Amino acid sequence: MKLRTLAGGLIAATLVAGPALADKLDDIIASGTLRCAVVLDFPPMGSRDENNEPIGFDVDYCNDLAKALGVEAEIVETPFPDRIPALVSGRADVGVASTSDTLERARTVGFTIPYFAFTFNVVTREDTGLDTYESLADRTTGSVAGTYEAIRLEGDIEEWDKGGSFRPYQSQADVFLALSQGQIDATTVTSTVASSIVKSGKYEGLKMAGEAPYDIDYVGLIALRNEYGLLNYLNLFVNQQVRTGRYDELYDKWIGGEAPDLTIDRVYY
Amino acid sequence: MFNYTFQWRQAFRALPEMLEGALYTMQIAVLSMIIGIAIAVILAVGRNSSSRWLRAPATAWVEVARNTPALFQIYMAHFGLGSFGIYLSPYVALLAGITFNNAGYLCETFRGALRAIPDTQMRAGRSLGMGPAKAFRLIVMPQMFRIAFLPTMNQMVWAILMTSLGVTVGMAIDLTGVTQALNARTFRTFEFFAMAAIIYYLITKAVMLASRLVAWRLFRY
Repeated sequence: MKLRTLAGGLIAATLVAGPALADKLDDIIASGTLRCAVVLDFPPMGSRDENNEPIGFDVDYCNDLAKALGVEAEIVETPFPDRIPALVSGRADVGVASTSDTLERARTVGFTIPYFAFTFNVVTREDTGLDTYESLADRTTGSVAGTYEAIRLEGDIEEWDKGGSFRPYQSQADVFLALSQGQIDATTVTSTVASSIVKSGKYEGLKMAGEAPYDIDYVGLIALRNEYGLLNYLNLFVNQQVRTGRYDELYDKWIGGEAPDLTIDRVYY
Repeated sequence: MFNYTFQWRQAFRALPEMLEGALYTMQIAVLSMIIGIAIAVILAVGRNSSSRWLRAPATAWVEVARNTPALFQIYMAHFGLGSFGIYLSPYVALLAGITFNNAGYLCETFRGALRAIPDTQMRAGRSLGMGPAKAFRLIVMPQMFRIAFLPTMNQMVWAILMTSLGVTVGMAIDLTGVTQALNARTFRTFEFFAMAAIIYYLITKAVMLASRLVAWRLFRY
């Protein structure tokens, strides 16, 4: 019995190991579907329209990528903390999910060159009297767990050490709910989210209170670190999106205005 | 296929941070049990009372606590009360949610235990000149706790595991909160969550073992 299980296991192992010679890029082309992990409560990058269909910059970006590969796009909704598990467990092939390219994360996952860049705003309620980033030092703040701005805000609150606190919430919707209810006094979010949420009027009494002085947050597409064939393709794709003007077009469609520069002066990526 | 290389060294370095989180997890679980038991005794007495005005609120509490998800109860304690202008911090909201849940379940446990105690016990106490409250306190309640002891410890394990729901209301200092933060920073999801799972497992095992020892020491005839 044991021997049989062992033999069965070995056969199964070889069967599984066989096709692994083809890399992820091959798998995507062969399967005819590109599965993109996209965060859908992060307008205007990703959200749902009134028919519950995914829309946004990242959704369009994924569709463009699928078209370039000659396959169908499939959007896999992924909350921010679940981006890596989605990739590693094979639920998604590529993360088009505004992922900040920190060196600490790059130890785990593979990043492409930046495909988008964010700046940050402070959002608060009209009755809090907050008007600068530094004035958050003694307030209760919050942001979406695991995002660049959350990590920066939590770090600064800790460093200021003036009695302020930080709460990580699981979604952008929870953060704005908490803010509009008065559970927290302020949050820092990407300028894109800030303008779209304040404009939407979904939450009453919210206003922007200046910029948060963080470095520009360059975000890349993500894939498994060892899938170099795929990462190579993605890099070229990002480059082509800018070259063909599609990047500017999408930026104008979803955010409006002039698209941020994705290159960094004085150094190659 | 599962395509991932585990990096345990980096994960182990975060162990002290996670253990500190585990202390908060224990703290919340223990507090929620102490308050929960106190409320549950009152609810159990209410449920057994002949007065409708005592029975109705106790029954309502038990019904809601046992038939809605704990996640919902915790979320309501934070965002639900928040919409009425009552602001509970994540810590208090989590504690309140779990306590609410504990009280509901324990009430039924205690009610079952009360049923197992023959009426004659109460009558014997009364015939010795004790008032109803005193007889309940000195004769019935100790027996109730003895019968309900192991199910109560079971609820304690449940309470420990429920604390992990705190992340939904912005809880950052308990074991799951700390794990989630480490995950966000490093993307080493599987290592950190595996370690958290093992810590949870060890805590609950220790609680079960301790409760068996205590039961063995206390409840020998």
